[in-house]
Amino acid sequence: MAYTRKDVSTLTAAEKRRFVRAMLELKRRGEYDEFVRMHIDFYVSDGEDGLRTAHMSPSFLPWHRRFLLELEQALRRVDSSVSVPYWDWTRDRTTSAAPWTDDLLGGTGRAPDRRVTTGPFAHATGNWTLKERITDEDYLTRDLGRPADPIELPTRSDLEWALQDPVYDTSPWDSTSTAGFRNKLEGWGSGKGAAAWRNHNRVHRWVGGVMVSGASVNDPVFWMHHAFVDLCWSRWQQRHRDHRYLPARPPGPGSAQRGRIVARHEKLPPWDVTPDELEDHGSIYRYA
Amino acid sequence: MVMSVGRTPVGADPSRASPERGAHARRSRRGLLLGLFGPAAVAVALTPVVLASRGPRAAEPAADLVFDETYRGRRIRGIRASVAAAAGALGAGQWHVTVDGRPLHLMRRADGTWLSMVDHYRSYATALDAVRAAVDELGPGRQLRETRNGGADMGGHSGVHA
Repeated sequence: MAYTRKDVSTLTAAEKRRFVRAMLELKRRGEYDEFVRMHIDFYVSDGEDGLRTAHMSPSFLPWHRRFLLELEQALRRVDSSVSVPYWDWTRDRTTSAAPWTDDLLGGTGRAPDRRVTTGPFAHATGNWTLKERITDEDYLTRDLGRPADPIELPTRSDLEWALQDPVYDTSPWDSTSTAGFRNKLEGWGSGKGAAAWRNHNRVHRWVGGVMVSGASVNDPVFWMHHAFVDLCWSRWQQRHRDHRYLPARPPGPGSAQRGRIVARHEKLPPWDVTPDELEDHGSIYRYA
Repeated sequence: MVMSVGRTPVGADPSRASPERGAHARRSRRGLLLGLFGPAAVAVALTPVVLASRGPRAAEPAADLVFDETYRGRRIRGIRASVAAAAGALGAGQWHVTVDGRPLHLMRRADGTWLSMVDHYRSYATALDAVRAAVDELGPGRQLRETRNGGADMGGHSGVHA
């Protein structure tokens, strides 16, 4: 029986409480920090050698789908009623909206150190001390909307631009792919200023603090953001039923991308699963 | 922001960095390298940098290989290992950068732009731009980790936890 992932703005007080409690329990056990580390370890950039699974590659979407499932399974071992809610940033667009309330994730960081001081993940609670991190500070940081140089969350039309593309991904299968749903959603631009971030990437920037760093998983909003990205993939599949994950086969011997990306039927490290096997999540969870 | 081999005296006083935003310190490449990596790395690294600045075989201008400046009150310094010769010591083509003496890992995108571990979801035209953006993001209140803060052990397949 598939369980449901809900819009974070629709959670009841009890659902929020149970989600927070399960997250804090994973943190207390040390399991949470393994997820932070894993995301750092699998962030391989496309200007460097090596297999790219998590970012700047076709498997951006299935890699994060499986990553969320791992976290969700861990949460459900603590409390079987919990699932990862999604944050629809085309709807909940302000710093006081869901999920930034004191009964869920807390709000933005204070000046000048961007420390989050409200909600259950504030450092003073003693329950959310950052271990796998880029900076010295062991507290959660945010800079919602970047007030010093304001930036907007992606709009419905920004997202629509990605969803309209019927092709999943295109050569060269990296951050420079100018066509294809995957990079339009992942959001690697080439321009300066506001055009540098699109959709998924732009949301990381809007949240700021640890969310825009290599240790972004330290902010629990990471999961709600990626649940919505995952939902967008499902919506794209429903809209373009004749289209599937690409590439279907590994790049040929002459391709610069050979051995650097994961084709539809290849294993997706670190898991023993292929993108093909991750395309349909309907038997595990559904979106409400 | 960039050192010129010919005009900068070896042994220049490293303490003369301007505290002004965007200002750069004039100091020797050897001094910069010593400060960044210590004497062992300098012996290997200095030669290819100088060679790259001279000959027609240089992969890119020397101007793109080193920077050392004070930006928003923070000392930012970097050297790019020569693709040709310094690979063994520093890693071919990699930038090695510090902010206030603490290492900041940079990654290269396929279009030749750079991103840092602090500002990880967009890239910048040059490594220096990426480091300045990291300083902007750190703000006045935060510091990089002294060790394991995004250095060489960050961003590689160092382990699998699943």
